[in-house]
Amino acid sequence: MPSNGSSSAAAVWAVLRKECRSEWRTRYGLNAALLFAVTTLTAVSFAIGRLANRTDLLAALLWIVLLFAALASLSHAFVREVEGRTLLLLRLVASPTAIAVGKLVFNLLFLAVLELVTVPMFLVLMGGPAPRWGAFLGILALGSLALAGCATLVGAVISQTRGRGALFAGVSFPLLLPMLAAAVSGTRAQWEGNPVGGQARLLAAYAAAVLGASLLLYDRLWED
Amino acid sequence: MSAALQSATGAERPSIAATGVWHRYGPGRGLQPVSFEWSGPSVAAVTGANGSGKSTLLKVLAGLLAPSGGTATLSIGGSVVPDRARRRCVGYASPDLMFYDELSCAENLAFAGEALGLPDVRGAFTAALDQVGLGGVAGDRPAALSSGMQQRLRLALALLHRPAVLLLDEPSSHMDDEGRDLVARVVEHQRRTGLVVIASNDEREWTVAEQRIELRGRGLGGAA
Repeated sequence: MPSNGSSSAAAVWAVLRKECRSEWRTRYGLNAALLFAVTTLTAVSFAIGRLANRTDLLAALLWIVLLFAALASLSHAFVREVEGRTLLLLRLVASPTAIAVGKLVFNLLFLAVLELVTVPMFLVLMGGPAPRWGAFLGILALGSLALAGCATLVGAVISQTRGRGALFAGVSFPLLLPMLAAAVSGTRAQWEGNPVGGQARLLAAYAAAVLGASLLLYDRLWED
Repeated sequence: MSAALQSATGAERPSIAATGVWHRYGPGRGLQPVSFEWSGPSVAAVTGANGSGKSTLLKVLAGLLAPSGGTATLSIGGSVVPDRARRRCVGYASPDLMFYDELSCAENLAFAGEALGLPDVRGAFTAALDQVGLGGVAGDRPAALSSGMQQRLRLALALLHRPAVLLLDEPSSHMDDEGRDLVARVVEHQRRTGLVVIASNDEREWTVAEQRIELRGRGLGGAA
């Protein structure tokens, strides 16, 4: 029998594989997220053309598209388990923390795939200045980590409530705002040639705080 | 966790002790305080009217629900099993346990085996499916199975990791005579080395039990 540590790692890996397999077979979230991102970018591109010199608008638009494309799916990671009545099965075989970490890693992978399609398309269609790739990808990675961590935590907390749709929006808005502001500011700063260290540190601290709070909370979830 | 494996092979005996365990979902709903001590190898039964808390008690014993009051401990060979390790010592089957419809029966059990950290996942799920007579439908989706066959799949999940304690909530529900015989064989096999707890109002299911508690009352605050 494995130790607790290796058993937890096995449970995280099993949950991650299960999530990937389920998403691959159902395309529950990815198709909707990609459709939203592509449609939004195409529509904005047709409507207002390229925004080469408006780095403020470019940065805000990029994060708005990523946020709304991803949020519906990220927030449903736990809701699907409750509505499909499979949460009991999950809880029988893995600890709440292992379940949540597995779903967090899946959400990060989901965001990475979404960004892999959306970001190049955004850069081509919106015509912004060439990014400083190190700073750009750093802010993108930290912002994604913070976004996935926050959405996973809120999704887990609200999953068994009745008005979960409204509750998710109400709870996640104040939590996501600082992260979104820092990500937009950092993305704009890298386009304008300014340092991004402050925003990067803020995003890293935010992500660490969310992940730390999550690890403390997850084992208390779903106890009654 | 070696104790759990030893008990599964008969070297160590499992026991469950509950002291004043109660749970309250809301006004008038829950489990009234109950105390008992059961030791394996044996079969114990929990009976009582609808809403008296049979399923709630089994969820508390499985570690799926934190009781509002009292303590429920699982010991193997005299050593108390920590709550976080309980899922590896307990097999649980109940009618409200649902499987992932995007995965086949074998994939559902493989996921559970991986999450539990079993060393030979394929061997474990193949043996469990064969034991409940579902070897021929391993590649089918759970939704394609009849309700009786889905109940067999729940039994297979409970047996997957050869647990020391088997918690069965209405194990024969939806089953035909052949299925009832299967449940009887599973219970007979498990009672030789471990502990079986059956929650049911069907006398045919718990007639083999050496010990029985009857939960009285219909939830907290209701008429007894």
